Amino acid sequence: MASGCLRRRSAAIAIAVASAIGSSYPADADPLRLRVDVLGETQGTPAPAGLVVLQGQDALRPWVDAEALVWAGARGAGPTATGDVLALTLHLREPHGYAEARAGRFLLATGAVRPVQLDGAYLTARAPWGSKVEAFGGLPVVPRFGARSYDWLVGGRVAQSIANVATLGASYVQRREDGEISSEEVGLDVASAPARWLDLAAFGAYDVLNPGLAEARASAAVRSSDWRFELFASQLSPGRLLPATSLFSVLGDLPSQTIGATVRWRAAPRLELLGSGAAQDVAAGLGGNGWLRATLKLDDRGAGSLGLEIRRMDVPCAEWTGVRVIGALPLGNGFRYSSEIELVVPDNPDGRGVAWPWGLSALSWRSRSGWEVAGAVEASSTPLRRYETDALVRLSYALASPPTTAPGQRPGFR
Amino acid sequence: MKIRPAWAIVLSVALAACASVLGLRPEPPSHPFEHRAHVLKGINCVECHADVANAGETGPLHLPSEAVCRHCHENPHDNRPCMNCHGEPYVRQAAELARAQLRVEHPRHMGAVHGDCVRCHSEVTEVHPQTVLPKMATCFGCHEHREQWALRDCAGCHVDLSEEGSPPDDHLVHDGDFVREHGVRAASARDLCASCHTERQCASCHGEGTVPALPWKLALGDVSLSGLHRAGFLARHPEEARGDPGLCTTCHTESSCIDCHTRENVAGGSTRSPHPPGWANGEHGVQARIDPTSCAGCHGGGGEQLCVGCHSVGGPGGNPHGPGFSSRKDEHHDLPCRLCHGVGP
Repeated sequence: MASGCLRRRSAAIAIAVASAIGSSYPADADPLRLRVDVLGETQGTPAPAGLVVLQGQDALRPWVDAEALVWAGARGAGPTATGDVLALTLHLREPHGYAEARAGRFLLATGAVRPVQLDGAYLTARAPWGSKVEAFGGLPVVPRFGARSYDWLVGGRVAQSIANVATLGASYVQRREDGEISSEEVGLDVASAPARWLDLAAFGAYDVLNPGLAEARASAAVRSSDWRFELFASQLSPGRLLPATSLFSVLGDLPSQTIGATVRWRAAPRLELLGSGAAQDVAAGLGGNGWLRATLKLDDRGAGSLGLEIRRMDVPCAEWTGVRVIGALPLGNGFRYSSEIELVVPDNPDGRGVAWPWGLSALSWRSRSGWEVAGAVEASSTPLRRYETDALVRLSYALASPPTTAPGQRPGFR
Repeated sequence: MKIRPAWAIVLSVALAACASVLGLRPEPPSHPFEHRAHVLKGINCVECHADVANAGETGPLHLPSEAVCRHCHENPHDNRPCMNCHGEPYVRQAAELARAQLRVEHPRHMGAVHGDCVRCHSEVTEVHPQTVLPKMATCFGCHEHREQWALRDCAGCHVDLSEEGSPPDDHLVHDGDFVREHGVRAASARDLCASCHTERQCASCHGEGTVPALPWKLALGDVSLSGLHRAGFLARHPEEARGDPGLCTTCHTESSCIDCHTRENVAGGSTRSPHPPGWANGEHGVQARIDPTSCAGCHGGGGEQLCVGCHSVGGPGGNPHGPGFSSRKDEHHDLPCRLCHGVGP
């Protein structure tokens, strides 16, 4: 039965690949990229099994550009067709930057407003002395063309740049679900770079419906060419992140706090060390987490690399240790081999397996003419399945504008 | 202490290998163009790059022709064109990219620096330059661009930043644990981020139900240690969620969990329920207060009736409100109060 399922899936995949390749030779070459992913799993129902993604961006005039990413796929033994629009945006801009308008499907995230994908409009007006006014409104996106129930969102933000070293902003957002007010927040945000080596940023969102701090984050970083040190802190109130129309918003408010630091050190021209540690006060008790990463470039350009990460999470109800290794090696003629292995050991397996290994091995090829082909095998043992092996093939063609740099390589100017 | 010669050799080889691997001894470029040698000989740049004096914003690269080289190098060691070997492909590739993506009029700049090209192109004096292009900080040394910065008007110099794809190296550096940090950095400067990053880049992680389309979810040829959902995230996602209550909700909505749990048959009522045995007896109340967003992930919307069945007023589940709970809502008319308190007169 499993082989029959795979055969049917293979047929669907072959059709998807053939149709994608066939449609990838237009007469006029716009900067569009067509990508085909083919996923075959040995167990379970993949999501989806075959996938065609079309993305593109073009500036019709200096003051107008459009961007889109749509995908369609098939999954299951049927197979069942599915798809969605990830982005479909028209962007108008006054040539000198005094005003901007964005309309269509886009991601809204500004000031203390948490990211939300929106079908709507977003207007920005700026002044040369650093003042900015933003206004937005629209309908929160429902996945897979789902039905709406009178949900909408409106808000705005005003900001002022101070002496070109700091920006101070204030935001407001209101969201309705089924016509009822589900979220109303005011927020403050500040960012400053008083020196080339110092970056400061913070924001806080205050819940107006159920008065209290919903979310606050702050970060301060200093850096030199070889070092970077960052202090960060956050407070998150899960009950206030939910819509006020949700039954789960009435359980009370138990915020969690985190304070920590991250250090980056370029120990040698090709060796970078990155470490982070944080203390956490969650409702279940005190805890912490930390990790250390080491990345070694195999050449001066960084086309090949090796990496090691060790991680420990020690928060009540979430205690585990993990180690991860990556490797990428350019093989010449556009070929590249990469591999990633992870092992996670939970402190309390509770019948979910004493360790959860995961590994991926991939071979990719990129041509100067715009073709990209990659194939990978993924194997894992998870609490869900004792053993699982998946295969994935990715085929991509840029209808114009072939990649200017090889994977892992940096463009030569900054 | 006397070190034996064999050990000294082994130690030397090991040190040399380490120096090479760690990049302490830079690998020599295969065929670098000897800019430094020309500079040290006092040869003016325009003697070779003559076209640069008349080059506009667009047009071909102003590389010297074969005849220009042979004007001085009268007896070359080889009959092949000089530029076939002298000059790294990636340096030329970067120069081509810059020519296509940057609006620079060399004649105007040359007048301002009195023909001293090295003031901007300082890398040509290095022994093994990775690039011969100026850093952006060099531009800002003369051009303040305060107003353009305030208006996010990068088009004066950059043709298309998203197409250009240059990671900032001397300003706005995406450094450290940037995946965690980017949210707080972007809060005050979302439009600055948008000058390089496209909508689909943001939406591919933050978008609703877009997982299948994530261009970076399975970046097969470009493995990385950074990224929130890399490697075996699927196996450890409950631990990650419990480790930072509410964090998932800052990007995902309630439907994100139920979509996948239903598909994988890991939902209430199935034999593969994610809850441990005895969950309904008391533990669920504690966990629900710690992170109600996790509950809402699967039991939100219509699933709330499962809670109402026990916790409605007078029900066996008792009062679910936390200590000190108060609300300005009308318990008989507003959602979600009316689910348990009933519709009033």
